[in-house]
Amino acid sequence: MEAHPIESHPVRLLVEDDLQRSRLTVFFRLLLAIPHLIWITLWTIAIFFVVFVNWFVTLVAGRPAKTLHGWTSAYVRYATHLNAYLYLTANPYPGFTGEEGEYPIDVVLPEPGPQKRWKTLLRLFLAIPALLVATALGGGFGGGFGGGSRHGNTQYSGAFSRGALAATCAILGWFAVLARGRMPKGLRDASAYGVGYGAQTAAYLFLLTDRYPDADPTALLATVESPPQHPVRLVGDADDLRFSRVTVFFRLPLAVPHIVWLLLWGIVTFFAVVANWFVTLFRGTPADGLHGFISRYVRYQLHVYAFLYLVANPFPGFDGAPGRYPIDLVLPARGRQNRWKTGFRIILAIPAILVETALGYGLLIAAIFTWFVALVRGAAPWGLRNYSAYVLRYQAQTNAYVTLLTDAYPHASPLEGAPPPQQELFAVAAA
Amino acid sequence: VTRRLALLIALAAAWTAGAWFLWQSVIPSSLRLPHVDPHRYFTSAQLHAASSFTSVSDVLWALGIVTEIVVLALYAWRGHRFARESAAGPIGTGMLLGMLGFALVWLAQVPFTVLDLWWQRRHGLSNVGYVTAVLGGWLGLGALFVFLSVALAVVMGLARLLGERWWIAAAPFFVGLALLFAFVSPWLDSTHRLDDPQLRATVARFERIEGVKHTPVVVADVRDTTSLPNAEAEGLGPSRRVVLWDTLVYGPFTERELAVVVAHELGHLARHHIWKDVGWYALFAFPGAWAIARITRRRGGMTQPAAVPLALFVLVVLGLLAMPLENVITRHMEAEADWMALRTTHDPAAAIGLFRGFVPATLEEPSPSTFDYLMLENHPTIAQRIAMALAWKRYAAAQSP
Repeated sequence: MEAHPIESHPVRLLVEDDLQRSRLTVFFRLLLAIPHLIWITLWTIAIFFVVFVNWFVTLVAGRPAKTLHGWTSAYVRYATHLNAYLYLTANPYPGFTGEEGEYPIDVVLPEPGPQKRWKTLLRLFLAIPALLVATALGGGFGGGFGGGSRHGNTQYSGAFSRGALAATCAILGWFAVLARGRMPKGLRDASAYGVGYGAQTAAYLFLLTDRYPDADPTALLATVESPPQHPVRLVGDADDLRFSRVTVFFRLPLAVPHIVWLLLWGIVTFFAVVANWFVTLFRGTPADGLHGFISRYVRYQLHVYAFLYLVANPFPGFDGAPGRYPIDLVLPARGRQNRWKTGFRIILAIPAILVETALGYGLLIAAIFTWFVALVRGAAPWGLRNYSAYVLRYQAQTNAYVTLLTDAYPHASPLEGAPPPQQELFAVAAA
Repeated sequence: VTRRLALLIALAAAWTAGAWFLWQSVIPSSLRLPHVDPHRYFTSAQLHAASSFTSVSDVLWALGIVTEIVVLALYAWRGHRFARESAAGPIGTGMLLGMLGFALVWLAQVPFTVLDLWWQRRHGLSNVGYVTAVLGGWLGLGALFVFLSVALAVVMGLARLLGERWWIAAAPFFVGLALLFAFVSPWLDSTHRLDDPQLRATVARFERIEGVKHTPVVVADVRDTTSLPNAEAEGLGPSRRVVLWDTLVYGPFTERELAVVVAHELGHLARHHIWKDVGWYALFAFPGAWAIARITRRRGGMTQPAAVPLALFVLVVLGLLAMPLENVITRHMEAEADWMALRTTHDPAAAIGLFRGFVPATLEEPSPSTFDYLMLENHPTIAQRIAMALAWKRYAAAQSP
């Protein structure tokens, strides 16, 4: 799914990271960050009072005070650098002052400008949905890094107690970096996305801007190069955000027959996958009939999830037929697969399943907020819808990998894969 | 025309024969119930409380029904427009339209559901919270939707296969489904063992007398949601059992009165009332399905999703029209179970005590209005049940040497 052009968010993430990592600093990353964690705790206490004063100023004057805005900006930038360091999104040790342009994962923050007073007044309440999404994605800011003591144990509650996605990527990335000296691009992009969303949320909460955080992965990672195209990808009309309020209100009960059917079909598919595993292991190629059957199941699962999690509007069919649903799945044709990858498929899939699980938490939160928004506006919010589509794409890639439809590993990058140059030429010619 | 007429007569004869067979009862045909004056058995305060509770309940029920009919009528008229919200093909779209119809009915009935709950809570009959009731109802739609989806998939699938005669195959399918549900439903509820040794001994004795040995009698915990006393016989063959609500077992009833309840429920099983229930359902399913097939022809028949909203409307209206008849049938079976209980316990005094206890516990009117009796009473009235106990006493006295 392609993104449609939207007005760019005033808080932008800049990624100039080359994926190279120092094994030594990665191995000791958490310990090395201790001085930063102490420093940000102190800074957080101070910034609490700064933001409080700035809230009154913004409420009265309609715009934040320049000095207070500058301090808060430095704090948010510093928190972003530190997050990036902790989540292995960047390699170098960050500075302690939050200087602009000094770190490979940086954030562009707006100058102080006029802000709507009612949004300022209700900022804390308005920020709750974004804070919850940030909790799922990662990139927790200052307050979360507070060191404390409970029952005699020191808590470093920040990075790893919040941010299911970024934390999962960091844990998996830690092993990958120690093995290869390089952060996998998919994991880096996913955690950069979490860090960027966290920065936008912090900027909103701390009155740097009154523009709501935008969960759209394409917009957040605008400066990041797209990954190569994956054989399993989503297609559909990205601009169609219209939702029927009636079907939104009853979305969960309406999905129950599909869930039951999915469960029953899943039982049969399990045995089909086991049979296909033997066939693929011995022949090197999946069985034709089984490949088709499992493809339908994986596609049907995507349709049902797209309906259930409010990524698409219409009620899906029960057969997983291609080309009938607005959010559809392109799956690869049956082809040769590496026998080693087939033999150890389940073990190899564990990291992808972990990322999928982390993403699923955010998907649920996104669906709940989309439900409220779609009920009121009759349309899904662009950013959340695209985040959910990213999760569904990753789930579909993982399912296709686990069920032996492809041996291409799921790509965790929130960005759509770019087609190979030759394919682009064909597309232009066709247009 | 002659062949059609002959077929119609044959079908009507078969239907009548089936109904006659299912109507058979052990209650002596010569039995005449004496007139019972409620004031003899109940205080004026009890009668007034029951009357005031029922009058509001009836109004809320009627309003709920009117709302249902109005919503479904509007839906039958305009509901097909929701087809644009589906990408599921004709059958899937039909399922969506079916589910949305009942979803809208539920939504429109929420105010009456809440009012009814308020009324019950006010009288101490329900302990369910408002949020639980509404949210539970919303989530509970899921189970209804699964059944509805299966039903519509079958009907629309058969309609595509058999054309207008889909009802001939669909009706047996639904009867089979009813049988399956009757068989498995006992295993869907959470219950526990009856721990009263005296009552268990009574159960064993009654099972021998009524010829339904080894029928489990279990207790369901419902006190968190209601204070209404109740019991039910359920299941077929190996799944049959008697369920006593804890509100009854641990309620204000004596051991002898509980024995009457157990004998009544065992009587249902002894007289094969669950089977007969399914039999009656079969007798109504065929003409009902035929009527739906006929009426939905104007919308292209059941192959078309657009016919589904109309089919829902017809189904509900037919159900409403059949309700008085269904109540006659269930009252007949309940009366037979009462007779079985009296025959087993030989204790009309306990039966009368039990029925007298029901009025303050359930706020049920001993002699309800005709409307109430026709539309809502699926058991004989309390007055009729007391009269049955009195009649049995007289009958037993006449039979003894």
